Amino acid sequence: MSQTTRNTSPTIHKITRRRFLQAAVGAGAASLVLGFRPELIGAFSTDDEPNHVFYPSVYIEIPETGNIRLIAHRQEMGQGIRTALPMLLAEELEVRLEDVEIVQAVGDPRYGNQTTDGSASVRLNWDNLRKAGAAAREMLVRAAAQRWGVEESSLRVEAGVVHDTGSNRRASYGELASDAAKLDVPREPKLKPPSEWTILGKDRKLVDAPDIVTGQATYGADIEMPGLLIASLERPPTVGGKLVSFDASRAKEVPGVRHVFAIDPQPTAMRTFGGVAVVADNTWAAMEGRAQLEIEWDRGSASEDSDATREALQKLVDGSGRAIRSEGDFVAAKASAAKVHEAHFHGPYLVHAPMEPPVATVLVKDGNAEVWAPTQDPQTARFLVARALGMKFDDVTVNVTLLGGAFGRKAKPDFILEAAKIAQKLEGTPVKLQWTREDEVRYGYYRAQYCQKVEACLDETGKLTGWRHHTAFPTITSTFTPGAVAQAPFELGQGFTNMPYRIPNVALEASGFASDLRIGWLRSVCNTFHAHAVNCAINELAELAGRDPVAYRLELLGEPRTVEFSERDRPYGLDTGRLTRVIEAAAELSGWGKKLPNGAGHGFASHFSFLTYVAMAVQASVDNGKVKVHQVDCALDCGAIVNPDTVRAQIEGAVVFGLSFALYGEVTVKDGVVRQGNFDDYPVLQIEEMPEVRVELIHSNLPPSGVGEPGVPPVAPALTAALNRVTGKRYRDLPLAKQVG
Amino acid sequence: MSITLTVNGIEHSLDVDERMPLLWALRDVLGFTGTKFGCGIARCGACTVHVDGVARRSCTIRIGRVRGKSVTTIEGLSDTGQHPLQKAWLDHNVPQCGYCQAGQIMSAAALLANNTNPSDADIDSTLRDCICRCGTYRRIRAAIKSAANEMRTER
Repeated sequence: MSQTTRNTSPTIHKITRRRFLQAAVGAGAASLVLGFRPELIGAFSTDDEPNHVFYPSVYIEIPETGNIRLIAHRQEMGQGIRTALPMLLAEELEVRLEDVEIVQAVGDPRYGNQTTDGSASVRLNWDNLRKAGAAAREMLVRAAAQRWGVEESSLRVEAGVVHDTGSNRRASYGELASDAAKLDVPREPKLKPPSEWTILGKDRKLVDAPDIVTGQATYGADIEMPGLLIASLERPPTVGGKLVSFDASRAKEVPGVRHVFAIDPQPTAMRTFGGVAVVADNTWAAMEGRAQLEIEWDRGSASEDSDATREALQKLVDGSGRAIRSEGDFVAAKASAAKVHEAHFHGPYLVHAPMEPPVATVLVKDGNAEVWAPTQDPQTARFLVARALGMKFDDVTVNVTLLGGAFGRKAKPDFILEAAKIAQKLEGTPVKLQWTREDEVRYGYYRAQYCQKVEACLDETGKLTGWRHHTAFPTITSTFTPGAVAQAPFELGQGFTNMPYRIPNVALEASGFASDLRIGWLRSVCNTFHAHAVNCAINELAELAGRDPVAYRLELLGEPRTVEFSERDRPYGLDTGRLTRVIEAAAELSGWGKKLPNGAGHGFASHFSFLTYVAMAVQASVDNGKVKVHQVDCALDCGAIVNPDTVRAQIEGAVVFGLSFALYGEVTVKDGVVRQGNFDDYPVLQIEEMPEVRVELIHSNLPPSGVGEPGVPPVAPALTAALNRVTGKRYRDLPLAKQVG
Repeated sequence: MSITLTVNGIEHSLDVDERMPLLWALRDVLGFTGTKFGCGIARCGACTVHVDGVARRSCTIRIGRVRGKSVTTIEGLSDTGQHPLQKAWLDHNVPQCGYCQAGQIMSAAALLANNTNPSDADIDSTLRDCICRCGTYRRIRAAIKSAANEMRTER
């Protein structure tokens, strides 16, 4: 018996396959919708629900029958947010996560900020979602009290059921939903004290894990629907390159190829490429057809060369730059210094290389567009798709799948805009644009190549009297505003402007550089290179002074104080006392100062980023020219912790991400063209290279801060210091492996 | 001409170009989307499946070469989703983004089929070029050892 199977309907949210959903459909007419966020408070009815549903906020849906639904309005890319956000809601709503359905939101401003970057999802929703849960709980309890004619104080809530302690009466949230929907939304719901938390602060496994390990989870590439065609796009070799002509005759001979046509570039939409699209019945035919294209390109003016960029950046930092921060008189300090220590730190362009290459499915039909994509930023995607297709914002729907890794790459919707342009030419037919790995590596939004220069003045006693740091790199804003050169405050604020050490004379300067590549944010963004320079310089200075690098840091930090440079820093200014504490904790955890076995060296780094404090010790050795990283010990203070196991996982991930680029990461450019293409020439860390990772979390009830990115910046400088100990050589450039080997 | 092969115990006949990689036949034609595309050059492991019980990178095997063979994907590793590796993966909360995990599990399953007491070196050599960018390697190692332990105990 032979059988051919094919999925016949799109499975956008994995939740739709869950058994318990089958009970969620009933009959009904009117239902009440309330909003919790201040601008949404108020009730209104809709008639289109198949079941009465109580919406105490845009993030919670309580049907009369069936499972409560919690809305995850930010995107899951491995950081655990589809687990953490529902934990915030469930804690205050008093429901069990295993009893609810988690629904991924579409891109819609009614959910507030959905741009999932900057390690900000928990921080931005910490109060909002807990209050949404608490307000709903208060309304449901009030409804029960009124129904039974008892005091609210005699009622107890457990796992979505209200119990009357004075009798055996009980009612589920669903049973109370219609009455609760008639009540006013409390404006200041009472939040539980941390001592009463049963969900927050406890290890919780990712809600998507069961689907992931059985192959049932839906990522961007897994969208399937009747009539779907697959596209592959050949882009110009350079940013700004243009199509002159193409011959599709051989491409069309590939079995399964249906269409070959050109799409225009979208230079004002994050410099989105155009090119020649091959659309086929399946992915292989699309890729094979693409390989058969004959195309003539006008390469445009792009001519960048990595070696020349290195020289240009170094020349910039050897001159004077835009003054960013100035304290005391660095020039005088330098003139009177007993010694001036000078160092240049270089690092190359980096690409994200998430395991899932960019992919997007778009259906244009009847004046509307529907998108299914692994995007970090569904609202921007929706806006730009509407603009690209000449539609209204309301005519576009952006559904979000799981993201198979992102690291900042999928914050840019270029792949969605390309897919939209292709789908527009095939109106009525859904089209999935699948990028190859080579596309992902060659058409990225790269972490900037950089040069950092630090000049440090020492007096006769070795005391640090002056610090000049000049940073030079191409700005991310050039992606949004072609031609922009000067860095934005958000870039300089990442480990540069907020240099935390107490030094009497400080001069911080910045110089921009016009790159021929598209520049973007990659996990931890500018912190990666600012932490590299500041930590390496501090470690070198400690060595020159004959001091232990941990003790040297603590001395330079001095008495606890808050470092703030703008109103935006409040209430999250850099508290040097918290930095001191993680430095001490990481040092203790790592057994800092003890002799290591097998010729291993110990290196240290610390950094404040995304409002979180991290210190890290790395143990490494060199065996036959190959770097071996044995252990990484990390202490982290991110304020209140939602899911400790996720925090530990994110540090483990940060170590792998950091070691990958510290050892190997390097994108080079020649004649404006990226030379790497796949994991064979852009190597990343393998399992055999994985060190032990130990994490100490500083527990506090301070407002929560970032987790996904802050672990990355200290990895490279701590490894650099460890290798310096092992070989006696100073390393100032990344990546390291080729220098040590 | 159609190509017949068995996938997860069920025989399928496909009318596709025999040069098509097994990966795309599984994903685009048969709808087994648990097997992932990561690199297309057999260097990342996301597309790993079993062909007659041996772990293979489906992105570089042409469908014409698996004619008459038996292929197992993540969807067919266990009828219940309760393979010792799948249970251990949940116990250790291994996945982050999860995209590479089907390939990691299928690679590990092929290892444990022949060796229920793998050393770190065995695991490392089996999972070389099974890339996880999120950094779940430590937990993968731990989960494989837990699963191996369960399989030994069950014997």
